[in-house]
Amino acid sequence: MSEPFERDGDFILISLSDAERVAIAGLAEVIEAAGGADGRFEYQAHPEDPAAERQYHELVGDDLAALRAADRRTFLEALGAESLEIEQAEALMRVVGEARIVLAARLGIEEDGWEETASIEDPEVEMLHYLGDLQESLVEALS
Amino acid sequence: MTAPLTRPVDDPTVDELAEPDHPWQVVVWDDPVTLMSYVVWVFRKLFGYTVEKATRLMLQVHHEGRAVVSSGQLEKVELDCHRLHHHGLWATLEKA
Repeated sequence: MSEPFERDGDFILISLSDAERVAIAGLAEVIEAAGGADGRFEYQAHPEDPAAERQYHELVGDDLAALRAADRRTFLEALGAESLEIEQAEALMRVVGEARIVLAARLGIEEDGWEETASIEDPEVEMLHYLGDLQESLVEALS
Repeated sequence: MTAPLTRPVDDPTVDELAEPDHPWQVVVWDDPVTLMSYVVWVFRKLFGYTVEKATRLMLQVHHEGRAVVSSGQLEKVELDCHRLHHHGLWATLEKA
């Protein structure tokens, strides 16, 4: 079986079935609906210094939210393609990673070693593993 | 983090980044679900580190819970932190 993502010069080729593409496309909505994902997406640079944190947010503004939203748009566009430019593949990889974070928050995963205790019959655990395989393939293709 | 790619290297954890002209440092914290290979990729992509250095830092995060991944003046490390957040890594800043 071929890898879901493979490098071809300046492009990343996608080998996903239609069913996979449909299943994955819903992730963008899942991430949006998750909001802060139990605080995981509520990033802070200065968690112990509120004044410095305010200054930091004045500096970065809504840029992070805008970047994450742009990644999700790129992700949805990418799923309709057969090959991706490098930047598109990187955005796709970030969104897959965010989806894994959302699923982990839903499943209450807070410590390493969760793979040994998580039920593989749980559809969300299965999706977590599947997305891990996708992200691993993207890392390899982009490295 | 999951799925180590390599064995830990012998190089001890030396905070080589904490120097007088680098008053701030970026700390990346462990996350049980983010792939180890992805963390290595991010460190290489954002900071231009060799695969050996990126892997050493990733393993330090995994085993010790945190690692200093960059340092410098506040404006520089805040940008580094922002880029790490964009890549889904839990990063904070602290004085060196």
